[in-house]
Order: sequence, then structure tokens, then C-alpha cells
Amino acid sequence: MADLTLDGVRKSFGETPVLQALDLAVPDGGFCVVVGPSGCGKSTLLRLVAGLETADAGRILIGGRDVTRLPPKARSAAMVFQNYALLPHLSVARNIAFGMEIRGTPRADIAARVADTARILRLEAQLDRKPRQLSGGQRQRVAMGRAIVRDPQVFLFDEPLSNLDAQLRAEMRAEIKALHARLGATALYVTHDQIEAMTMGDILVVLNGGRVEQIGPPEEIYRRPASTFVARFIGAPPMNLIPSTTAGSLAAGAPARGETLGIRPEHLKLAPGAGVEATARRIEPHGADTFIQATTAEGVDLTIRLPAGNGVRAGDQLPLLAPPAHLHHFGADGRRIA
Amino acid sequence: MTFAAPASAPTSATAAAPVSATPGVWPRLDRVLMSAGAWMLGLLWIAPLLYAAWTAFHPSAYETRFDLLAPLSLENFPLAWKQAPFARYFLNTVILVTSILSVQLVVGTLAAFAFARLRFAGRGILFGLVLVQMMVMPDILLVENYRTMRMLGLVDTIAAIGLPYMASGFGIFLLRQTFMTIPRELDEAARIEGVSLLGLIWRVYVPLAKPTYLAFGLVSVSAHWNDFIWPLIVTNSVSSRPLTVGLSIFASPDSGVQWSVINAATLMTSAPLLIGFLLFQRQFVQSFMRAGIK
Ligand SMILES: Nc1ncnc2c1ncn2[C@@H]1O[C@H](COP(=O)(O)OP(=O)(O)OP(=O)(O)O)[C@@H](O)[C@H]1O
Ligand SMILES: [Mg+2]
Repeated sequence: MADLTLDGVRKSFGETPVLQALDLAVPDGGFCVVVGPSGCGKSTLLRLVAGLETADAGRILIGGRDVTRLPPKARSAAMVFQNYALLPHLSVARNIAFGMEIRGTPRADIAARVADTARILRLEAQLDRKPRQLSGGQRQRVAMGRAIVRDPQVFLFDEPLSNLDAQLRAEMRAEIKALHARLGATALYVTHDQIEAMTMGDILVVLNGGRVEQIGPPEEIYRRPASTFVARFIGAPPMNLIPSTTAGSLAAGAPARGETLGIRPEHLKLAPGAGVEATARRIEPHGADTFIQATTAEGVDLTIRLPAGNGVRAGDQLPLLAPPAHLHHFGADGRRIA
Repeated sequence: MTFAAPASAPTSATAAAPVSATPGVWPRLDRVLMSAGAWMLGLLWIAPLLYAAWTAFHPSAYETRFDLLAPLSLENFPLAWKQAPFARYFLNTVILVTSILSVQLVVGTLAAFAFARLRFAGRGILFGLVLVQMMVMPDILLVENYRTMRMLGLVDTIAAIGLPYMASGFGIFLLRQTFMTIPRELDEAARIEGVSLLGLIWRVYVPLAKPTYLAFGLVSVSAHWNDFIWPLIVTNSVSSRPLTVGLSIFASPDSGVQWSVINAATLMTSAPLLIGFLLFQRQFVQSFMRAGIK
């Protein structure tokens, strides 16, 4: 049906390479989330799939059809933009109908499709309003409405929730997921939000400087990050990375491997009489959990995540131990070792 | 503003009253002078219009005599209307300004879009040339334009009056600046929906630049409604003459027409613009603010 495949796609703007030989396969109906730091080429990737930019090399296939050189309208890809991109002079109904009007869809069909879409997105009461008379969440839903009336094979989302407040974002996350389950179209979703990355996708792609660092299911990426970059980028607070030479007895009992040891804050244990001594410097309560910043005698900074009510205060000496089962080992090039 | 202007008198509260009175006077005087100046300028500007209105609505005996109780009269207007082919002049002017404006809008929109959003060889140089047009005083080109119109065989036609102004550098510049402020996301969203290039201009750029179109339209219409020298030179018959030229011929000293009738004609010829402006004043001022013309 409509799987999305990128095969060695490259793109540079002038001298600067933005995407370097990118390979990606999203199965039909899959939800692929792309994360990465600002400027790593996430939007460029989406724009290439949408046809707003042309790839320098490589192929893009939608449902097995090579669309690399096709104009945007021939690609059956709909895009939801970060700033919604609604036409301010048109009502909600006409914004949703915009593409159908251009394609010359009969009036009666347009009306029926708009009504359908408005019902799905709970926008019936707002159909006659202008975008400026809507809340951020409603605007976002109109933008999605414009995408779903096209009945596209691929949905492209470019940080669609980044302009919303935290609570609305949580609601919209659920709404987008529900919509995706209902429509069953393939989705490519760009974000820099940890939670969106972990919760929304079946496949997570971590981009760094125009290269894929790792592709896989979110839990897999969390459990076995392929590089120190992924280890720090996925998970909050980020994984502790410790040069093996200064680890001391923190990882006592584990065979020394690689250049860098990694341990997630929630996996560090308080083990009186074992491990290393560290001084708690800062206590950050986060409700259910508390994040503790501590420094060992070797000068290594560590973050520890403990359940609330643990009684640790700034200045306390903490005996810290990293259980071998939870240790990650990285080589000199930053890649994971076994 | 009161006498205790605090900024200029940072003394203690008790001692302040008599001391701060002196510096406090200045801002007040300043304001008085400013508004007096504004009123003076305003009066000076409107005086000829008031005089024209006064004479037009009174019998000719009151041309140089001011008397509040002078009898009002409307007879100057039909007199003026009968003495010269004003109906034809009106028609000519309306044809002139509408054809100039419509061509300016079409050419300006297409050119502005190209300069704002398309990439092509020589874009910078061409846009520079458009800007140069804004720097050159049209009067310098009178002779050259006349020669061109003669070559085209258009002398003494309405087209000849309008042709030199139909590609307006100012209009292109103004629209380009407006188009460049339109977010690219809107453009891209429309392109993903499959809109053609002309459709994109018509459905996205034009509606979003409406205030600029309104402001430019007003500037263009009033400029060409009132333009005088060029039409005077290039026309010499009733069938092509616009109002301004017709009026000046009507008002020339040797025609022996009374001032009151001339002024009635003057009011008549400028009335459509004045009324139009008063009716749409609010929209125009808003458009000017948004289009950045002041
Ligand atoms: N049209 C362009 N011309 C030149 N350089 C560009 C263009 N578009 C993007 N770039 C560059 O390409 C790089 C990647 O841009 P892109 O917009 O894809 O980043 P991003 O990952 O979406 O970042 P963000 O998270 O900030 O949105 C950036 O360094 C950017 O400066
Ligand atoms: Mg981006």
C-alpha cells in the first residue's frame, strides 16, 4: 500500500551538506518520529518528502512509486506545519476546503467532506470563524483537517505541537495518535520533544548533523542507545556518561570495556558500604521523583533519580553503585560496544 | 499636563511647589505652540478650498466680499456644466484613471511576485532599475515621452496620457515589500495542495496584500486624476482631454468666465475624489498604516 522509503537521500544547500545519504523505511500505516537537535535537518527531510525541496541524490518512494522528481501535488503527501499555515482571510471551512477548491471538487462533495472532517476534529462550531478567532489548539486541528480531507497516503508533521502549552500538548498527542489509528495512513512526525518522541512513534529516528544515529522502536533506543549522542539525547534527565578511567569503584564487579561508561539516573543505587562516595550538591524535586546532582571524589558529576521522600539533603555523602546489568559501554568513537 | 511636571522637578515635595512652577510652564507652552502651528498650517492649506466653496455657492456679486448673510445659490453649477463639455472630460478622466490603475495592478502584482519569491538571472539588476524609476522625476521625461507617443501614433489619445505610467516602480516596490512579509509556510501549504503559480498569487498573495492594494490604489487614482502637465502637452481635443486640462482651458483669463462659475467647476471636478476619500477615510488611513506609507 503506502509505505515510505528513503534510499540514500542527500541534500545540501550550497556548500553545506544538510542530509547525508539518508536511508529510512516506514511500513504502511507506521508512525515514524524523527528527533534531533535544532538544525540537524529534520524539516529538510520532511520538505524533501513533501516535494518542497528536491533531493540532490537518492530516491524517495511512496507506496513503491518513485516520487523523487514529482511536484508536491503529485505525491499524495499532506503536511501539517509548525505555525499552522492557515490562510488568515479564509474561514475555517474554506481553509479546510482550500485544496479541494483548487482541484475543482464538486461543491456538494466539498461541503460533505468539510462537515465530516469538522465532526472528526470537533470543529463544527468554529466552521465560520477566521483563524485569528481560534485558540492555538483549534488552529492546530484546522491544520490537521486540511491535511486529512485530502485523504493522503503519507502525513507529514513538522513540530506541530511546539506552539502549544504543556497540557494542550498532552491532549493533542493523544488526539493525533487516535486519528492516526483511525485513518491508518503512514506518518512521518518531526519533533524535538522527548515525550512526543518516546510516546508517539512505532519507529524512532535519531538524527544528528544530517546523519541517522539510530533507528528503532522507542523502548529499544532507550534501552540500548547506539551511541553516546543517542544516550544523552533520549531520556530525561540524560544518561550519565563517565570516562572509564575515573569511574573508580562505581561499576565495581563489571568487566572494564570501552572508553566510556553509561548509566541512567534511575539505575544508580544507594549502596552503603559499596560503590563510590559522592557529595549531593543540588536536590531537584519533580513530584513523584527527585533528581539529585552529585559529585564523586574523582570529580565526576552524576545525576541520580530517586523516588520522592528519600530524605537526601544537599551536602550528604551518598554511596553510589551502578549495577552491571544497567551499564552501557561505548568505544572511543562514541559507538556502543556489544 | 499640570504644573507639577515631575520629571523636571526632582526636589522634595514641600519645597517643590513654587520652584517647579517655572519649568512646568515650558511643556505647556510647547504644546500650545505646536497646536497653534498645526491649526495655522491646516487653515493655510484649506483656505483656497474654502474660498472656492464660498464663491461657488454664492452669486457672483460676493466673489470678493465676505458677508455671512449672503444668499446661497446653486446656479453656478449648471452654468459651469453648460459652458464646457465637462461630461466628456469626466468620462475621459474616469477611463484614464481606471485603465492606469488596472494595468498598474496587474503588472505590479506579477512583477512584485517575481521579485519577491522567484529566483531568476538578473533579478537584482532589474529590481535596481525599478527603483531607479522611482528616483527619476516624470517631468524630465516629458519630451522623450512625447516623441515616443508620436512614434506610436498615439498623440491626442487617452492611451497616450496613461501609457507612461502603467508600469509603476512605486507600485512594484510597495507590493514586493508586502509580499516578502507573507510567511513562506502559507505559500508552501498552498503548493502542497497543488495550486498553480497564478493560483498561488491570486489565492494567497493578493488577498493578504489587500491593505497595500487599497493604499496604492488611492495614491494612483488621486495622482492621475490631478495630473496636469503631461495631459496638457499630449492632448489637444475634447475627446481625449481629462478634467484638469479641460478645467484650465475653461478657467483661462481670456475665456472671460466669472470666478464663481470657475470655482463651481473646480469643486465639481474634485468632488468625486473628496467624497470618495471621506466615505472610505477609515479604511484608507488603516491601509496606509498597514502598508507603511505615511
Ligand atoms: N533554504 C535553505 N537554504 C540554506 N540553508 C538552509 C535552508 N533550509 C535549511 N537550511 C540549513 O539546513 C540546516 C537544517 O535545517 P532544518 O530546517 O532542516 O533543521 P531542523 O532540524 O528542522 O531544525 P529545527 O529543529 O530548528 O527546526 C540548517 O543548518 C539550516 O540553516
Ligand atoms: Mg525545523
